[in-house]
Amino acid sequence: MSALPSNLPARPVAGREELQLFYDLYNEALDDLALERWPLFFTADCLYRITARENWEAGLPLSTLVCESRGMMNDRVVGWRRTMTYAPRAYRRFQSGLRVVEATAEAVRVRSNFLVVQVLIDKPAEVAFVGVAHDRLVRDGDDLRLAERICVLDSEMLPNSLIYPI
Amino acid sequence: MPEAARQWPEGAASRVPYWVYSDPEIYARELERIFYGPHWSYVALEAEVPEPGDYRTTAIGERPLIVVRGDDGEVAVLENRCCHRGVKLCQDRGGRAKELVCPYHQWVYDLKGHLVGVPFVRGVKRQGGMPADFRQGDHGLRPLRVECVNGVIWATFDETAPSFRDYLGPRMFRHYERVYSGRPLKVLGYNRQHIPANWKLMMENIKDPYHAGLLHVFFVTFGLFRADQKSAVEMDDSGRHGILISRRGEQVKNEVTATMRNFQGDLKLEDPRILDVVQEFPGEETVGMITVFPSVILQQQVNSLSTRQILPKGPDGFDFVWTHFGYADESEEMTRRRLRQANLFGPAGLVSADDGEVIEFSQQGLGPYGERDALVAMGGHEVGNTDYMVTETAIRGLYRYYREVMGL
Repeated sequence: MSALPSNLPARPVAGREELQLFYDLYNEALDDLALERWPLFFTADCLYRITARENWEAGLPLSTLVCESRGMMNDRVVGWRRTMTYAPRAYRRFQSGLRVVEATAEAVRVRSNFLVVQVLIDKPAEVAFVGVAHDRLVRDGDDLRLAERICVLDSEMLPNSLIYPI
Repeated sequence: MPEAARQWPEGAASRVPYWVYSDPEIYARELERIFYGPHWSYVALEAEVPEPGDYRTTAIGERPLIVVRGDDGEVAVLENRCCHRGVKLCQDRGGRAKELVCPYHQWVYDLKGHLVGVPFVRGVKRQGGMPADFRQGDHGLRPLRVECVNGVIWATFDETAPSFRDYLGPRMFRHYERVYSGRPLKVLGYNRQHIPANWKLMMENIKDPYHAGLLHVFFVTFGLFRADQKSAVEMDDSGRHGILISRRGEQVKNEVTATMRNFQGDLKLEDPRILDVVQEFPGEETVGMITVFPSVILQQQVNSLSTRQILPKGPDGFDFVWTHFGYADESEEMTRRRLRQANLFGPAGLVSADDGEVIEFSQQGLGPYGERDALVAMGGHEVGNTDYMVTETAIRGLYRYYREVMGL
């Protein structure tokens, strides 16, 4: 429930300018491989998913990658840093079409497209992942954070592995 | 590589020449004799086509297929190729249809693949049309032999193949029935990845328990799969199919983990729900990884169940299609558990991403060195079932059969 009188428009959780800055910082952190900062963009009990469009459209619940809490995200970071084996690579993320779908005093729903270009050593850059992200952001104390981010891949045939997040 | 240069190296069973992973002529022979030969291939789960008219597109080797349930409830597997001019007529992943129509000239087939309509078959204004000797009944979408076995649909192009049960052999069929008991399945979703490596490297990976206790740091660290755990490697009599069996233990440090260069004994999960494992099958085994030659890996890793279909795309790459499933009558909690554990597997899996990456590294190393050969002598030179993990016996079994069917 909003504390504001009902005859006043609700003040949304974030305006477009703040959202854009949030996403710029998010993508920058990941592009720079500052993986330890990734979970900080999310609330403690967040949901993060990457899934194929065929699953999403058919209502099938499988994820290619899922974290059901910030703790699970931290565990993933440890996986990338310490347990997993993969070829060195860079991902660069390009976001477009950011649109506020719904804004209330509690949360803002945003959708945007993503395009991730992958560069492996001695290989030309390739479009690795493309799709749409459905996000829900909330105010967590003073900070804007993602309570939910679901990345739906149009590109269902992955070029071998999906290592770092989108 | 010229045929004369293709010699199988000395020490036969424990050596594999690298040219089997890169030679285009060998690859063409594999498609002909293995994928299109007297072997059963995985095509789909019955749960994917539950109702009459439901269809899915799939493939065996490089050949596109349609899996469709007819009005009588029987499943047919049809060549996805119009008998007129060869058009791959179904372009989507699946759906429901009353008939199958080629988009090019609108030839119409029923759900059994019978040709039931040819536009202008008698021409227009008595001009053109098919000649008098054209018999519509002689044409159709060619059906494959099909067997639905406890929820899984298998198919073969070859009329001479034995029954699926005999193809697996009694020992492997018993293992098969552990997960595929006839209890109805439900599909949880798909993952697809193209792995730039020869398809056999994926089969070898799942026939190689030696790597699992070394490469997969996550597995070993959390006790899911470790070289000192009670385990077994079994094959059918031919050596072409295999299973790795293991049981999980606890997170420990011992002489086995001390041998592992990158063991991470201090790791602790912040959110351990990913390892919330329950024993759901009879016996103490928690892992049963089956390779059914040549097309699929049947995964039971704790509570995560999937089929991993291999679709070869030339000698140096294959598509790998993961279909995760549970049981239709299971609790929501069990389904959630499977979905969580699926984080270990697939193209982003905490464990399986290691495999996709490392077999790509294999192709990078062995591809350009066709005249050299691989050493697969862990556990000796023989082929036989074992009750330990540090062995490559199932890879030797695979190549013993491979040489026979390939005439190498």
